[in-house]
Amino acid sequence: MTEEAKIIEKRKIPSGTIMMFGFPDVGLVGVIAASHLIEELDLDEVAYLDSTLLPPIIVLHEGLPHSPIRVFGNDSVLLAVSETPLAADTIYPIMYALIDWGKSKNVKMMVSLSGIPLEERQDAKELKVFAAGSSPEMLKTIKDGGVEILSEGYMVGPQAIMLQRCSQLGVPAVTLLAQCFYNYPDPEAAAEVLKGLAGITGVKVDVAKLLEKGEEIRVKARDVMKRTQQEMSNMKKGQEYDIPMYVS
Amino acid sequence: MAIEKKKRSFIDVFDEYFDDMERELDRWRESFVEGPSWNLKASTMEPLKNMRVLPTEVVVTVDLPLTKESSLKVKALDQRTLEISAEMRRKMSFKELGVTHHKGEFQRFHAHMQVPVAVQMKKMKTKFKKGMLEIHLPRKQKR
Repeated sequence: MTEEAKIIEKRKIPSGTIMMFGFPDVGLVGVIAASHLIEELDLDEVAYLDSTLLPPIIVLHEGLPHSPIRVFGNDSVLLAVSETPLAADTIYPIMYALIDWGKSKNVKMMVSLSGIPLEERQDAKELKVFAAGSSPEMLKTIKDGGVEILSEGYMVGPQAIMLQRCSQLGVPAVTLLAQCFYNYPDPEAAAEVLKGLAGITGVKVDVAKLLEKGEEIRVKARDVMKRTQQEMSNMKKGQEYDIPMYVS
Repeated sequence: MAIEKKKRSFIDVFDEYFDDMERELDRWRESFVEGPSWNLKASTMEPLKNMRVLPTEVVVTVDLPLTKESSLKVKALDQRTLEISAEMRRKMSFKELGVTHHKGEFQRFHAHMQVPVAVQMKKMKTKFKKGMLEIHLPRKQKR
């Protein structure tokens, strides 16, 4: 953690939790899934990110200021959520601060919830969920959880840095990616990523309400999606479509 | 005082060109004042939209959640401009959208789009599924 980005705890943080991340990205999958987890698991704000790297934004809730990046939790899970897209040049320090803090709380696993764009998403009959792990052991956990491994390709954004940092630090981690729209909020994909989460971690929530409110969520998420599109373009998110050229 | 003129390499010229272009783009971006994605007077919201120019066609997608398919209108205003509007199944207030310092409600989506290449507007095809509109416009082929 640096002076530029530090985590302020609002209450005692339990040890040995599963720490999840839901950040604005393709289809807003992570943010929509995180928002549903907060509601279904009745999570409270337990910490927040204080950072001079963020734009001068506060989020007002019931008249009081909050950081746009907060950590919610209970006795068994922590969930870091951002209500604003991260600018490309702030992803490293912000993700490092969150991950280092999570490690200091002895989290047993970190899981990023996100999406992977699907070209013909509108015609897709079912949405697949893929995952990448921080170690060979985590790949086994992914397979045992019934999720397909994303074995080759590019990953761009906070979830990519989470996986890399956790791999370096020896923290077990998984990035879960549901096939989704690139440019449009995708509650159906968020429901699929939550099913994948349940398979791998045992953190289960009912997704029926999420699907029921799907169209409403799409109306409400328009502006965040629009801003996220701008940041995705800055961080060359389109590279996830690229055919990789491996140098061995 | 003799001024030594440094010879510039092709890469220097190239870099300079792109730096100039970047600065121009920044100036262009800054010239836009950000506005809201809604129009209270018309009770409309601007939908999220996207356009892909493919070799044989232009594909436009528009996210129109909570809308009635029967109210959907896609008009070609001219050879390059599309106007899209759709009525929502129910009104949505600012309060429902989590905004308490504005009053009002919305009942329609409305958008304009400029197509950057020549297309055959008369051959436009549309598809609407789960609140997502897809418009296919065949491109005019050069002879």
